[in-house]
Amino acid sequence: MRKTVIEANGKNLQYWKDIWNYRELALNFAKRDITVRYKQTKIGLGWALISPIVNMVIMTFIFGNLAGLSSDGAAPYYIMVYAGNIPWGLLTRSLQSSANTFISNAGIMKKVYFPRILSPVGAISAFLVDSLISMAILTLLMFVSGYMPSFRMLLFPVFMILCVAIGLFAGLFLASFNVKWRDLAQMIPFAISIGMYLTPVAYSIDTIPEKYRLLYSLNPACGIVNAFKWSIIKEMSFDTVSFVISLIWLAVFVPLGIHFFRKTERTFVDIV
Amino acid sequence: MSEKEYSLKIQNVKKKYVIKQFADTGKAVSKLGRFVNRRKIKKEDFWALNGVSFNVEQGEKVGIIGKNGAGKSTLLKIISRITEPTEGRIEITGKVSSMLEVGTGFNQELTGRENVYLNGAILGMTKAEVDEKFDDILEFSEVGKFIDTPVKRYSSGMFVRLAFAVASHLEPDILLVDEVLAVGDTRFQKKCIDKMLSIAASGKTILFVSHQMNTIRQLCDRVVVLKNGEVVFDGDVEEGIRLYSSESFADRKLHYDYDGVARPSGFENNLAQIRSLDILHNEEGIYKAKESIDLRVRVQIKSDEIGDLSCRMHIYKFDGTPVETIFSNAFEYIHEQGEFDINISVLKHNLSPGNYSASIVLTRGNSKFMTGDLDIVENAFSFEVLNPDGTGNSWPRNWANTYNESMEASIIKVEE
Repeated sequence: MRKTVIEANGKNLQYWKDIWNYRELALNFAKRDITVRYKQTKIGLGWALISPIVNMVIMTFIFGNLAGLSSDGAAPYYIMVYAGNIPWGLLTRSLQSSANTFISNAGIMKKVYFPRILSPVGAISAFLVDSLISMAILTLLMFVSGYMPSFRMLLFPVFMILCVAIGLFAGLFLASFNVKWRDLAQMIPFAISIGMYLTPVAYSIDTIPEKYRLLYSLNPACGIVNAFKWSIIKEMSFDTVSFVISLIWLAVFVPLGIHFFRKTERTFVDIV
Repeated sequence: MSEKEYSLKIQNVKKKYVIKQFADTGKAVSKLGRFVNRRKIKKEDFWALNGVSFNVEQGEKVGIIGKNGAGKSTLLKIISRITEPTEGRIEITGKVSSMLEVGTGFNQELTGRENVYLNGAILGMTKAEVDEKFDDILEFSEVGKFIDTPVKRYSSGMFVRLAFAVASHLEPDILLVDEVLAVGDTRFQKKCIDKMLSIAASGKTILFVSHQMNTIRQLCDRVVVLKNGEVVFDGDVEEGIRLYSSESFADRKLHYDYDGVARPSGFENNLAQIRSLDILHNEEGIYKAKESIDLRVRVQIKSDEIGDLSCRMHIYKFDGTPVETIFSNAFEYIHEQGEFDINISVLKHNLSPGNYSASIVLTRGNSKFMTGDLDIVENAFSFEVLNPDGTGNSWPRNWANTYNESMEASIIKVEE
């Protein structure tokens, strides 16, 4: 029979085993999120198509036409913008949803035990599915525009996973502060909307002058967003510096996120 | 006895809550104000559990009884791993489920079928297990063809039945039940008890929290009595119930605080909250038969237009048998927020001599037109009713729990 030991200060030896035992739950959460998101709406899955396309049209008009920013390589501006929005959206949505996980799931977490980390993992799995739909549209757009990618496009899942990983672990780190300090929940969307201008989403990283490039690359999202674009746009050269910086951030966020999340999940129900 | 026969080994478990109280209570202070003056916040340690130890053998049915705030619910929360102890250690052998958290994680937009799988997963079942039991669950729930309809279109009865059907098809080794948090109507609660009895008969370990001594008698073969976070008794059911209901244990007070006292689910106190109670014109909470019971209840109103309010008391005999419901008149229309005192005089009650406890309910409307309860404190206070001559509270056990002198009778000699 399964043996569980509960001790003060969370010396929970079966923590990782528990996550494995409950693995189906993350899948169920993801399924719930996807079903619910598209069920209530008339157009259903269409929303997954509409919002990135509208986003693309507006950004192309503002940044490409009005501001006259340049695209990467030979890719049409709208393809570049669309490709930039996929990793950026994935990363920021993962960040937001894991940072808010204790608050938005307090009702259920107060009543039943399950490894808390499965809540944000379920949510980001749903975002991954959304992104795959976006990828399908991107492929279609490229086909229509006649801009052909190279074989390195097949690498995109790797960068997608890295995007959600950065978002998830940074979010887990923030989640524990979010419980005590609710203002954080207001600040995150604000930081994200500013962050978009400081990330090569709607313009090429080459737009940034060489002498500021390193400073600019310190943004954790910069390298990974750029690397994702690199997989789509065949003329781009790989920006190793920013990508390595992103990986370093990830290496920092993983232990930090897990540590603070575990510390908080043990007793947050006493506070919320 | 060898170790592996234990389902639970609870060793010196303590749980501390830090109560933060802003020194200047009563006044509306903005969050910023609180932050600026944060040094004035008084922090007070409250030990909800203070060194609880006991073991539960496999297959034992243990009742946990105690007054409000004795630590019963906290203990179950720790065993079910929702929160962790401040000190101590618990060893659990087997799978734990808490049955009455029915409907946790149900999503209104999903169909009955989708919710069964989601809820099953939340409660720790694998898809294969749910697959296997799905037909049973469907049959038990009596939901029938509506299983593929979103649950937002369900009646509340259907919703509860489906939720309960999932929960009752869990196969835990250890079942935790907190009746204080039970939802649903009488029929549903009876169904729960019946289900628990059948689970009990199948040899599972059960930990059962209840204020209903009769249910404890029915279900348990041992009770643990908690008082102020400590185990004060562990053993025979009848003896434990006697101790729990005895005067020495009743610790009748003249002032009761309800901030932080757990409410039944559904009473999240968005609009109004019962905060405290004072017993007036009485030194000990002991009343002669028919003597009026005077109370002052302080409530916090959190809505600008709460309208008509009234209150209600449910009176229980010491063993949890419900005896009488007492309604108040409706109060004057209230259209501002703040703290209010309700002065109550129970002029006429029909309680027989004995020990009682009362729940207080703050409700909208009045006894004739009720639009919904706003807050409820169960076991809010206890009191004793004496014989009419004030000499004690002896009352034959087989006599009923009300005392009524309204019978008119006369005697006439029959002429032959």
